[in-house]
Amino acid sequence: MRRPLVWLRMHRWSFSAIGILLLWAMLSLATARFSLNSLSGVASSASFLAVAAIGQMFAVATGGGNVDLSIPSVITLSAFLTMIVSGGSNAGLFAALPLVLAVGLATGAINALLILWLRIPAIIATLAVGYVLDTAALLANRRFTTFAVSPILRTLASTHIAGVPMILLLAGALAACSAALISRTSYGRTLMALGQNEVAASLAGAHVGRITTIAFMLSGALAAIDGALLSAHTGGAFLGMGRPYLLQSVGAVVVGGTLIFGGSATALGTLLGAVLLVLIVTTMQIAGLPGGVQDMVQGVVIIAVLAAAGAGLSRRSV
Amino acid sequence: MTHPAPGLAHPVLRLDGISKAYGRTRANQDLSFSVAAGEIVGLIGANGAGKSTLMRILSGITLPDAGWLEISGTAIDPRRFSPERARQIGIRIVHQELSLCASLTVAENFYVEQPGQGGLGPTWRRHYERLAEASLAAIFPENGIHVRRPVATLSLPQRQMVEVARAGVDPKLRLLILDEPSSSLDMRRSRELQNFIAARAAAGVAVIFISHKLQEVAAVAKRVLVMRNGRLALDGETAAIAVPQMIAAMAGEAVQDLEQTQRKSGASVGRVLVETEGPWARSPLALHAGEIIGLAGLEGSGQREFLRALQRAGAGSHSSAGIICRGSVSFVAGDRATEGVFPLWDVIANATVGRIAAGPLLAWLRPMAEQSAATPFLDAVRLPPERRASPILELSGGNQQKVLMARALIAAADILLLDDPTRGVDVAVKRDFYALIRQAAEAGKLVIWYSSETIEFLECHRVVLFHEGVARRVLNASTLSEDAIISASFAEQDAGAPGRAAAKARTSPPGSGPLSRDALFALVPFLTTALIFVVIAALNHNAATMFGIDLLLSAAVPLVLVSLGQMFVVGGSEIDLGVGAFAGLANVLSATFLVSEPLLGVVTLLLAVGAYAALGPLIQARGIPAIVVTLGASFVWAGVGYALQPTPGGSAPGWLSAASGVHLAAIPASVLAVALAAILAASLNASRMGVVLRGFGANPRAVAQCGWSPLAASLLRYAIAGSFALLAGLTMTAINTASDINAGSSYTLLSVAAVVIGGSALIGGRIAPVGVVCGALSLSLIGSLLGFLGVSTDYDAAVQGGLLIAILVLRAMEARRA
Repeated sequence: MRRPLVWLRMHRWSFSAIGILLLWAMLSLATARFSLNSLSGVASSASFLAVAAIGQMFAVATGGGNVDLSIPSVITLSAFLTMIVSGGSNAGLFAALPLVLAVGLATGAINALLILWLRIPAIIATLAVGYVLDTAALLANRRFTTFAVSPILRTLASTHIAGVPMILLLAGALAACSAALISRTSYGRTLMALGQNEVAASLAGAHVGRITTIAFMLSGALAAIDGALLSAHTGGAFLGMGRPYLLQSVGAVVVGGTLIFGGSATALGTLLGAVLLVLIVTTMQIAGLPGGVQDMVQGVVIIAVLAAAGAGLSRRSV
Repeated sequence: MTHPAPGLAHPVLRLDGISKAYGRTRANQDLSFSVAAGEIVGLIGANGAGKSTLMRILSGITLPDAGWLEISGTAIDPRRFSPERARQIGIRIVHQELSLCASLTVAENFYVEQPGQGGLGPTWRRHYERLAEASLAAIFPENGIHVRRPVATLSLPQRQMVEVARAGVDPKLRLLILDEPSSSLDMRRSRELQNFIAARAAAGVAVIFISHKLQEVAAVAKRVLVMRNGRLALDGETAAIAVPQMIAAMAGEAVQDLEQTQRKSGASVGRVLVETEGPWARSPLALHAGEIIGLAGLEGSGQREFLRALQRAGAGSHSSAGIICRGSVSFVAGDRATEGVFPLWDVIANATVGRIAAGPLLAWLRPMAEQSAATPFLDAVRLPPERRASPILELSGGNQQKVLMARALIAAADILLLDDPTRGVDVAVKRDFYALIRQAAEAGKLVIWYSSETIEFLECHRVVLFHEGVARRVLNASTLSEDAIISASFAEQDAGAPGRAAAKARTSPPGSGPLSRDALFALVPFLTTALIFVVIAALNHNAATMFGIDLLLSAAVPLVLVSLGQMFVVGGSEIDLGVGAFAGLANVLSATFLVSEPLLGVVTLLLAVGAYAALGPLIQARGIPAIVVTLGASFVWAGVGYALQPTPGGSAPGWLSAASGVHLAAIPASVLAVALAAILAASLNASRMGVVLRGFGANPRAVAQCGWSPLAASLLRYAIAGSFALLAGLTMTAINTASDINAGSSYTLLSVAAVVIGGSALIGGRIAPVGVVCGALSLSLIGSLLGFLGVSTDYDAAVQGGLLIAILVLRAMEARRA
């Protein structure tokens, strides 16, 4: 009797999988407009979200309510830099990619420095760093001239293989690597230890500073890559293009079953969480709900999931 | 006053069969005793013996599983007991972990614990100041405590005095429980405390006195209760029980074994693994492989700090002054819940994490190999095989402790650091541990062992005696006996040589010197605002006219209001990422409904504030992070606003735009609005309600134990924040005579920045309304300043973000220096 429930609780990603199946079934029954074509659209949008959200997951896993709020700014800046530096050529891309990667890694390192060394709460540190990056994006916007996209990047971001969007394969591979990193390496194990109990992790010999820094650098790097891919997908860069990812990256992490206070993370869940969130938005679009209501529903879903998951946490702390 | 009529006939307190279990751990088992009026009872027991649980039951914080209580002959259903009820009856407790709110003043701390005095008017503050002053002076004359100063500025002994005075002054007092009240008091203050206890007892108050200082217990109390493993082990007159007998009763059979074990003939000493000197030891100390070293001394004399420093030195992550560590270390925490176990994991993962952490970060883990590697060590610590697949939290305390021991052994380090590992575990586990420790030393490890049970040091080859943070003496195996260690500990105590702890106590309260620097820091927001304004005025002389000021301030008013709302949330150690969006929503509602249908407008605005306030209890009750909830909520607010009004538009209600043009004696509305907002926030903050809110921000558990509701407090906190954001939305409507749902969003980060710049602490409990107003003005004026300087508005965000980081860096450096 209790076994299935226990299994569900052990595999929290399954809740978002069930959610996806239910919503998909409902959509297929309710409307003929939901075709395989729109499913491919959902998969593609969800993949872009998943890349950023997996980065967010590493930041969240460090525990203590840490969240990386600089992700949207990194995405926007990276998109601009990719467009400007690559100039739409493959050769330019090989200069642009290392640059945006460096920007992402540096952002993560600065975030970690502010958090660890100056003991600034993660959300303030990342928000403030994001502000500085926003200004860089504003300046980049002034120099923005071309809408040409490098062919390689376009292939990665927008083509399909046997009907499956290339970006979905990339996001799937990323999720698989992240899952292995979390569950099968020393780094993942100590990261989860740190998220559960920082003092105990440090006393058990974990290098808390190094682990946290790597987590935030991963978050920054993935956001930067995501920005580059997004610029190819949308065929340009614009101010505020990363903004939806502020709530959605946190949302996908939480909905996917990663504990918001850290210590337990699931990359597969984050990927599924991203799909579920995008599916919810798509459903609302199909239902013809105005944009404001869509935002509202997303906000409510995330608060509701948090409130429901909170019970497990308070039980844990007793 | 006490009630002599029923009180004399019945004991003040009678317990019958009180039991409490946490999982498999029986913290209290079938406790029955009584305390008469005027009686002083000493309560002693090792850590984990169940004293704290008993005290929590008596003060209504913890409900027992079985048994009942009787106070002055009236039976009390323990399942309906609560801190408020305990307080009404007259049970007061001085907690061991100080329960004062450091950011509140001494007088405010008196208020939080004893509300309801001082009348309705604003004279309440004066009342509590007089109360605090009088009760402190009555117990501890010439204490030098200023009741209007925050508790944070007091030294540790002064805080302990406040704590005692606060509980002791209660006129309804019937049962006074003192949990380690004298741990940081010097001889004179301890004597004053003893006199006070005797005086209260003479007046008919029953007193329970808990202390690790057995001599003091013998001096203060007529009767002593000894607890062991949750049970009452001994109950008798102090005159008839010698200190060694008390110790024997506290320790029980496990350590009685120790006295019978063969005395070791000294260790087979290997190479030097740890050398220490300087701040940690009076004379250089070398510790060798194969030795068991005990860290003794009175509790809190620096033994655990030394152990931590060793751990850091061994892990190589931090330099530790005065310690050279020539081997790898592993650590066994005795405080399992907070420093030991990883609650989400099973036994195997908990046991192997130490070895994994010692390896390279990208080492590949194989679960089967991990499990087989762990098995011999779990065998060695005698963890029952059927428990090895269980989640760690399903194990008893003793078994959890075995897993932690296995974790340290698996790591195969040269040095084993034990932080009181037998605390609260049963006899059988203790015996196993002693054997394991012996084996580890025989295998050539250096074992460094801190214990709160003195008799365990008989297992050691050498014992290092700590006093006030410094290793003062070393006792060798030949001279080791329990009496020798205890008398040496007390000898050090009585010698009272000033050491690290005393020095710390002296430097920790920011006295006159640091206080002036604090005051200087508090001035920074004002000076920044003034400076920016002067520069603007110098660049553009029109800015210095009334019209110019009005123009500059009008733009700043919404940010000032949003920041004040944010300030109250930050005061509760939370950050609100939805406050700007909510101001935007209020802007939309007031420019649409409030114009077309005023009644509906008012109702929707009130509903919105209600929904906003409801976030507080949601966050509190579910224990979820405020930032993510408020971030989610920000999308709700923006979404609602956007759905109502997709494009900017609307108009301001007539009365609102009229209000924005009001002048009072040539002072424009914007200046009035800023001043009013500051006054409103400051008076809210200084009110009784504000005191409680700040108390929750600083020390939520202590305030809740005083009977205040955390849910109500967070509801109130978010209601206040929402109301300020509502006012911000209204001013936005008045100024712009239109609404735009996105107009508020930029205020969110700026409000956090304003709160930080204004001098509020992000960890909560300390907020500075006027400083926050200045912070908001500075941030708003910077935009205008950059404009006058010809800098593109592109840089606004970077300058504001940079300013926020710069201020936080300065703060962190200041905190590090202090």
